[in-house]
Amino acid sequence: MIYQRNMEDDKFYELVELYRNPEHYGKPSKYNYSENGYSPSCGDKFSIYLEVEDGIVKDASFDGKGCVISTVSLSKLCSFLIGKPLKEIENMQLKDIEDMLGIGDISISRVKCATVGLDAIKKINKEVSNN
Amino acid sequence: MNDMDIEKIRKDFPILSKKINGNPLIYLDNAATSQRPSIVIDGIKYFYENINANPIRSIHSLAEEATKAYNEAREKVAKFINADPEEIVFVRNATEAINLVSFSFPFKSGDRISTTYMEHHSNLLPWLRLKEKGINVDIVSISDDYELDMDYYKHLPKNTRLVAVTHASNVTGTINDAKEITRISHEQGSLVLIDAAQSIPHMPFDVKDIDADFIAFSGHKMLAPFGIGVLYIKKDIAENLKPFLTGGEMIKDVSLSKVIYENAPNLFEAGTQNVEGAYGLGLAIDYLNEIGMRNIEKYENELTKYLYERAKELKNVEVYSGKSKRFSGIFSFNVSGLHSHDTAYLLDKKGIAVRSGFHCAQPLIEERLKLDGAARASLYFYNTKGEIDAFINELNDISEKYGRR
Ligand SMILES: Cc1ncc(COP(=O)(O)O)c(C=O)c1O
Repeated sequence: MIYQRNMEDDKFYELVELYRNPEHYGKPSKYNYSENGYSPSCGDKFSIYLEVEDGIVKDASFDGKGCVISTVSLSKLCSFLIGKPLKEIENMQLKDIEDMLGIGDISISRVKCATVGLDAIKKINKEVSNN
Repeated sequence: MNDMDIEKIRKDFPILSKKINGNPLIYLDNAATSQRPSIVIDGIKYFYENINANPIRSIHSLAEEATKAYNEAREKVAKFINADPEEIVFVRNATEAINLVSFSFPFKSGDRISTTYMEHHSNLLPWLRLKEKGINVDIVSISDDYELDMDYYKHLPKNTRLVAVTHASNVTGTINDAKEITRISHEQGSLVLIDAAQSIPHMPFDVKDIDADFIAFSGHKMLAPFGIGVLYIKKDIAENLKPFLTGGEMIKDVSLSKVIYENAPNLFEAGTQNVEGAYGLGLAIDYLNEIGMRNIEKYENELTKYLYERAKELKNVEVYSGKSKRFSGIFSFNVSGLHSHDTAYLLDKKGIAVRSGFHCAQPLIEERLKLDGAARASLYFYNTKGEIDAFINELNDISEKYGRR
């Protein structure tokens, strides 16, 4: 089903708060990579901006519109990556996003919402390693 | 049946007694697909246990029975909308019906088609694709009350060959005056296609009265199995259409140098058809007839009125439907500051099934209404006022807790 069934209302409330004022939201003046992400069932549309130097993520941010799950996962993903090698994204999966959100068992219909940022950053990583 | 005995009707739909997340299912996603009564579910089993064979071509007794069942289904559909059986083409769904017309209609470069801002993608994308062939597509605008710009239809641009329009919107609920649009379009020499996917399941429908040339609808929104739909093509018009798919069962005579095609409707039914689906659609129509489409319309109007009345209590909820002169049992909304998917998730926890997102009408939702999605509750005749109460109460709680004031 959608999220973990016994997910407490409070947990969801917490996510809604993060969704209303997400960290790392907004297009930065300085970035050297960007990529778009879509989740068509939700109608989520995001852009992700990374400043990468010597393989290290110096800054990460995003803008666009989406649901609680996609917005908060993008925000948390940005926080996670800043200061780390971009390559770390390679091995990350849905499970890692679920851990970041603090919820398990995201339903089939919402997987795309949770991984919209992950997929886009993986694309950037490919581009970076190809250069 | 005169008055509708809803409790009795609900017993005909086994799924309505299902529990979802520990709560009784309140199914308010009927515009996406309806639920199915036992008569249809059991009928499919009966079909395979008693009638199954490849109809039309084989001549043994069983095939004869299958052919008879298939033809009877066509007759039932025809009668249901006051058409002749030869005017009924079985397809998979409304989407395929409209695509068929977009392929088979003899459009020429420079021709115009009109469709509208309130269409489902299925009555939009088949036409937009024709732009590649030099055909112009006009998009009729809608007012802030979700009414079509009727002035547009009064002065169709030159070379308009086809006016495509939905009878009932799956987002705003608007019921358009299909008869008047058809009348004035005909006066100006254009043919008319009506997307009746959201109307035929809910109201009496008479093709001779509306007089449109093409009418598309889906069985699964009116109690029938998935994968069976209908394209009505007015007699005389069919002759001018090109075949859609080619292959078996749509020909009279074939040699490698010359093919003589069947007449409509068989011309448009290439290959082995969804016979079980057609049979199931026939049973669904029997069931609808027994309740009576007039009763269904009346009861749904009552429910709709009740829903909109109760919705006035809601705070922090924006509504995007029900402003037009006529509208169906569709209630599109958002809790302020909450994405529609998250609203749907919260309702689902209480067993309430609503749709969320773009509803396959992205230009309407995104460009016209400037939204990133909407939640939608949509009614059918087995819903009750009690269910509406539960929905409104829950929505009230959600909007109080999460809605941004
Ligand atoms: C107005 C309208 N037209 C067409 C369709 C397409 O129906 P189907 O998906 O069965 O082809 C729908 C389905 O939601 C609809 O609401």
